[in-house]
Amino acid sequence: MSQDNTNVADRRTLLKLTGGAGITALGGCLSTTDDGDGSDGSGSDDGDGSDGTGSDDGGDSTDPYEIGMVDSQTGSLSPFGERNQRGVDLALSAVNEVGIDGRELDVIVEDSGSENQSGIAAAQKLVNQDGVPFLIGAVGSGVSLAIYESVVEGTDVVQLSQNSTGLELTEFPGLLRMSPSGLSQANALADLIADDGYDRVALTYVNNDYGQSLTDAFVDAWDGEIAYENSHDQDQQSYSGVVSEMNGSDAEAWLFITYQAEFTTMVNEVYSSGYEAQFYGADSVSGDDVIENTPEGSMDGMRIVVPSAPVEEENYQSFADAFAEEYDRQPTSWAAYAYDCVINAALAIQAADEFTGAALQETVRRVSAPEGEAVTSFEAASEILADGGGPDDVDYQGVSGPIDFDENGDPVGFLQIQEVRDHEYEPVEFTQG
Amino acid sequence: MAVLGYLANGLVFSSIIVLGSIGLSLVYSIADFANFAHGDTMTVGAYAALVTFGAVGGLGGAVLGLPYGFFVALAAGIAVAAVAAVATEKLVYEPLDTDSIGLLITSIGIAFVYRGVLQIGFGADFTRFDVQALRPIASLLPYGVRVTLHDVAIVASAVVLVVGLHLLLQYTDLGRKMRAMADNPELARVSGIRTKRVKLWTWVIGAGLAGAGGVFLGLFNQLAPRMGFNLLLVIFAAVILGGIGSVYGAMAGGFLIGMINQLTPLFSDVVEALPIWPGWLEAALESLVSIEYANAIAFVIMVVVLLVRPNGIAGEAAT
Repeated sequence: MSQDNTNVADRRTLLKLTGGAGITALGGCLSTTDDGDGSDGSGSDDGDGSDGTGSDDGGDSTDPYEIGMVDSQTGSLSPFGERNQRGVDLALSAVNEVGIDGRELDVIVEDSGSENQSGIAAAQKLVNQDGVPFLIGAVGSGVSLAIYESVVEGTDVVQLSQNSTGLELTEFPGLLRMSPSGLSQANALADLIADDGYDRVALTYVNNDYGQSLTDAFVDAWDGEIAYENSHDQDQQSYSGVVSEMNGSDAEAWLFITYQAEFTTMVNEVYSSGYEAQFYGADSVSGDDVIENTPEGSMDGMRIVVPSAPVEEENYQSFADAFAEEYDRQPTSWAAYAYDCVINAALAIQAADEFTGAALQETVRRVSAPEGEAVTSFEAASEILADGGGPDDVDYQGVSGPIDFDENGDPVGFLQIQEVRDHEYEPVEFTQG
Repeated sequence: MAVLGYLANGLVFSSIIVLGSIGLSLVYSIADFANFAHGDTMTVGAYAALVTFGAVGGLGGAVLGLPYGFFVALAAGIAVAAVAAVATEKLVYEPLDTDSIGLLITSIGIAFVYRGVLQIGFGADFTRFDVQALRPIASLLPYGVRVTLHDVAIVASAVVLVVGLHLLLQYTDLGRKMRAMADNPELARVSGIRTKRVKLWTWVIGAGLAGAGGVFLGLFNQLAPRMGFNLLLVIFAAVILGGIGSVYGAMAGGFLIGMINQLTPLFSDVVEALPIWPGWLEAALESLVSIEYANAIAFVIMVVVLLVRPNGIAGEAAT
């Protein structure tokens, strides 16, 4: 009898703890996506100056300017953290080669763990303890918003998200971002599928803010019939139920709004179940990892709309060359966004009268706004500012696009339609978001 | 038609869950704590197999769509997972000398260590075994069953391992000692059983099966540092459903949870077809019994079973 009681008690404890672990596992609303890229980056955060006492930035100091960055170094979005870090490191070396009025730029990187709570803690440390006036962060849209609402809103600190594409960020004009909103992507997808001659579509999306908001936008833009619409959870070990239901809907066009790992599982299950369909996808399903881990020919003809750096532009190509030289691989759009975040921040600092949040708020949008002389590198922009130019005399054209933040803090996005041919992504056409 | 297909998918998925849950239950019954590092032990096995498979290659022929080299890799996965678990037991759990809650919390930390080490070595991205992907078996397609030879291999290997464990527990000296220890550790020790040695063997068997489960999970889906941890919750559900501490209960629980998970589309078809009254109830059920809640449905069924049998399916019987 007493044996029995302990068993029950143990099971209770266990249930509690299992539940707790489950909640932990489900935390971390993520939102952005990636363009693929290898795995084992070092992710070194050598941005940390370790003398984090903060903003002793009187006039002629020679200490480096310190800005903060909240990044996903661990957690479910850690691949983005690795990509971002490469972009940041490259941008820092470009900035510090020239210097900002004789001073260097330093980025203190803190880890968000890809989750809201630790993201907020990281931002609080940067803003309150290190006293940074400029905060780059974060990757996931949920984390970016949580940081904005709990730490940044109501202060002078400038927040610029490097990778968030969630639609709801548009409603917060004070929260800038470098990656384009998903809205233009949803519209482009609806147009693309209709232009290809389909009037019924089966749709599955990842069950979080990102998937839901992009799906809502797509459904708004889509004139045809939606034969199947259902969400799926992240990190499941099998989606065979989802793909068999999509097959059961008899729609010929299947749209996937999810992440690479989930999509890879689905493609493999579609292949091993022998289904046939025309695939479409949001940018978050495309990447080299998907190509490498799906059977040859399993996605041929698939079409994807991706936010794209203007890859034909000269400044992107020189960025790509420098990137390839440093890391021995091609850059992703996400590294380009992080790169532009740092360059834009450096220019805002140089253009501002003083190193404070209030002053940077004045300049951060203007250095990359359409007014002024178009320049494509930090060095050229810095020269104009050093020659007495104001923030309106410079129009930094980023490697990820023209930037040009609108009144909602969203950049002008470039979109590219890609098609899978011979198991590789081939660009088909460009559109401007 | 479709029913057979869902059942076949369920069988494949269950095989993996069963392999994971047996080890968890076995360790619980003898080492007396819920090992939260169990999921990550599966991951360790999967990555060990990945490395081995990369090193040995296909080795010529193939059986059930899998090259011989894959079975070598499977053995390596089992071995490495067992070694990792034994090393952890010797270095951490045994010297720690704390109660079962202390060990449980420690095991969560161990889980992070395993995962962190794998992430340092292999990065955070996912990958797959370099095995040719297969199309479904054509002769089964008319019955709506869409499984590949790989799926057959997973089920067959799981059956071999489970039957092997059954024989070990019932007919060998070690198995009898393990059962004795699970029943009453003090009495077992007084009767002259070397409990420490039995405990070590328990770790080897439990972690070995977890390693095999991890390898099959990687074959079934893909490898990522979080793969085992993501499955852990489902495995716990299976173990609790079966009656924690009972190996045969864990088999039954794992089978049931895996099946329910994959049969959810069927349930939603049934709910749609049934004339449920009143209308609002039907609407509510239709929106709730849907693929997006597959795990939730499995958990609800677990709760229902526990209400009827508070100690799980095999709660009363030991081991």
